[in-house]
Amino acid sequence: MSTLKKMLRYSVVLFASSVLLAACGGEDVPDLEDAAVEGSETESDDLPDADADDGDTLMVGLTNAPDSFNPFYRPGVAGTWVQRFFYDSLLVMPTADSFEPALGSLETEDNQVFTVNVHPDAFWTDGEPVTADDVAFTLNTIAHPDAETTLGPNVAMIEGTNDSGIREEGLDELPGVEVVDEKTLTITTKSPVDLAYISEFLGFGVLIAPKHVFEGIEVADISNSDAATKPSVFSGAYQFVEYDNDNYVHMVSNPDYYRGAPEIENVYVRVMNGTALITEFQAGNLHMTAGGGIGMVPVQDIGLLEDIEGLVVEEFPSFNGQYMIINNDTYDNAKVRQAFAHAFNRQLIVDNLLNGRGEVLASTYTSATPYKDPDLEPLEYNPDLAKQLLEEAGFDFDTPIEFVVPTGNAVREQAGNLIEQWLVEIGLTVNQSNYDFPTWLAMAQDLDYDLGLMGYGHTVDPNIATYVQTGGSSNNMAISDPVIDDLLAQGMAGTSYDNRFPIYQDLQQHMQDEMPIVPLYSDSQFGVKVDNLNGGIKEYWAGSLHDLHEWSFE
Amino acid sequence: MKKYIAKRLLTAIPVLLMISIAAFIMINLAPGDPTNLYVMPDATPEQMEATRRALGLDQSYPVQYMRWLTRALRGDLGISYSTRYPVLPILVSRIGPTVALMGTTLLVSYIIAIPLGIISARKQGTWVDTLLTGGAFIGVSIPNFFLGLGLIYIFAVQLKWFPTGGMLELGGNASILSVLHHLVLPVAVLSTFYIANMTRYVRSTMIDVYGENYIRTATAKGLTKQVILTRHGIRNALIPIITIIGTDLPRLVGGAIVTEQIFQWPGLGRLTILAINQREYPMLMAITLLSAVVVLLVNLLVDMMYAVVDPRIKYD
Repeated sequence: MSTLKKMLRYSVVLFASSVLLAACGGEDVPDLEDAAVEGSETESDDLPDADADDGDTLMVGLTNAPDSFNPFYRPGVAGTWVQRFFYDSLLVMPTADSFEPALGSLETEDNQVFTVNVHPDAFWTDGEPVTADDVAFTLNTIAHPDAETTLGPNVAMIEGTNDSGIREEGLDELPGVEVVDEKTLTITTKSPVDLAYISEFLGFGVLIAPKHVFEGIEVADISNSDAATKPSVFSGAYQFVEYDNDNYVHMVSNPDYYRGAPEIENVYVRVMNGTALITEFQAGNLHMTAGGGIGMVPVQDIGLLEDIEGLVVEEFPSFNGQYMIINNDTYDNAKVRQAFAHAFNRQLIVDNLLNGRGEVLASTYTSATPYKDPDLEPLEYNPDLAKQLLEEAGFDFDTPIEFVVPTGNAVREQAGNLIEQWLVEIGLTVNQSNYDFPTWLAMAQDLDYDLGLMGYGHTVDPNIATYVQTGGSSNNMAISDPVIDDLLAQGMAGTSYDNRFPIYQDLQQHMQDEMPIVPLYSDSQFGVKVDNLNGGIKEYWAGSLHDLHEWSFE
Repeated sequence: MKKYIAKRLLTAIPVLLMISIAAFIMINLAPGDPTNLYVMPDATPEQMEATRRALGLDQSYPVQYMRWLTRALRGDLGISYSTRYPVLPILVSRIGPTVALMGTTLLVSYIIAIPLGIISARKQGTWVDTLLTGGAFIGVSIPNFFLGLGLIYIFAVQLKWFPTGGMLELGGNASILSVLHHLVLPVAVLSTFYIANMTRYVRSTMIDVYGENYIRTATAKGLTKQVILTRHGIRNALIPIITIIGTDLPRLVGGAIVTEQIFQWPGLGRLTILAINQREYPMLMAITLLSAVVVLLVNLLVDMMYAVVDPRIKYD
């Protein structure tokens, strides 16, 4: 019996120790403790009251873990979204077709030389002024040949860079970036460009980094440096306090923010899956979702949120679309590719799998972008025509088609099953296989497939060269079409919406005629928030944080 | 005994080395390049190479492994591919929550299950036994995610007695009471299975023990039922029960992947899923190594416990 008593005693000690261990240290990554904002009143062991009713804390639900807090390297959407709380860009985008000055303004008279005027009252949180040197340093660092960056395309229009946005050999700095005075610089592009294009990619897409924090670090080492992983100096409405890995990001307001001190003191961005997002809303623990593709509520569960009193659920068209990609080396006959499009009842996918909350795509663009051709209708569902086109093309119905469906998106997986069934119905032999996304991407890059499903996200600017241009870095379909290449080049040479739109109209029509990729559907995005929050997700999701400092609770 | 423990610890070193090599090979055999997850879809080859270099993936596999090993021996388990934070502090920060969750679960489960198993065995064939074995059958059959969501809906969403998830109130103080409050629902879910499972084992073991000759002898000697149970019954039933506990204990760090996901519990199970989804190779190596160490230590602990409860077992 004494043995039993000992065991019981040890068990009690084990229990008490484990709970104590969890209570004392579990929520904090020790190394991040010293990342707490200098001078902030909210050290991690003296956190503010999270009671929502006093209006000083905003709880946001996020379904993807943020990956990076490095302004030069932003591979994930969630990391970029969170960074916008504490790093500002020169411009903000309240809507898909409007820009407003934030950290600076961007003006031009000839669409080639752009003048940046940095906001006169903008300061970093350590008291240093935000200057033209910070902007020039940020652009030069992104273009540095040793930089680990995801922002090459954002600076690839600047004189002195190659098509990837990397500084040309033999140059020490970008000749297209010249500092005029403390608050002014000019940016010269390689050729005239649309103001909207440079405003979106450079003005809005690049977050300005503090030169005095990063300049002492070797460019190749920035990504893994403390300055990048534990940011401590900010220009945005909020200041980063800590990130508890895959759990939450805590930020506090920047009282000296140049556009006005934020109304809400604390922001917690909590990481959770879509199901937890719903239960947290039902329990009253969240004020809003991050929206877009990073605050995803399963479409079949949206109704649950719409039934909650005090919640506002808004539906917006998305810039993201789902496509069936085609190995154009294998299927080099346009009739065969068109036959695939006619074989699919895409409206059924939208009606049944998305509960009508989405759209069938006619060509490459979704209705969120102003460049979508409103007169272009999707190809009709006509399996008989599909079969006829295949016969006309002399297609071998007995050769199995290797069809790959990536896992991780429930609706897409269900759509994949339907597509397989529709292909079989027109007499084709199909081998469907499912792989996780990294595996599927590797297969696509090696053209080790016949057909497959893939999602693409678009910018407001309609340039899709990387996906469909001959040799484009994400052209995993072996598309090589001189007409597409020519239209894309013409489109990029245009300097206004009016002269670019007809070119992209032609591109959409040509893409439908040649069908190198089958557009399927685009699911709606949802903005969910409590009704007493002034602020939240906007129709143009990427620009939703443009008025962050004005958000408040009624 | 000390000599035996030292010998076991020494033999653990090559075992851990082999496990690390096997884990490294298996992780890197997975198709696809993890670099793809850490660049934009339109990344150029130069940008891919820069990221590959920053992640240390530009070296050959033997070089990558040797680098990892030499750093690991110095206590550096590498960096997270996504956040670029050191792996070790992240791993350490997840051990506490998982040990709290699983430790509490196992403790609660054993405290409830062992008496229930004994009662069920003693009342074999009665309505009490039928009720307990029926309950145990339901307990092992009910899926965790279903029970978890059900409990959240009733006790967190409707009644608001407990939080829906997490381990602490964000913005509040990190008190033990707060942790206990957050522990109730996930522990209830996990314990349901463990209680049911252990009850069945204890019942079956006790029924076997009650059939042994020494129990009949003790009964014939006129000992009371209480003395027979405590001095002869439970003591002899402990060895198979310890074996079962030995298989449960590694779960202290293995975590409960589904339950941690449902309750947003910031533990090792959730970290493992994230590491798998994001191809976080250094994190996966660290988690594998930690699991291996725990399994080896628990096996040693169980062998020592055998000697404690059964004097016939000697290791020297």
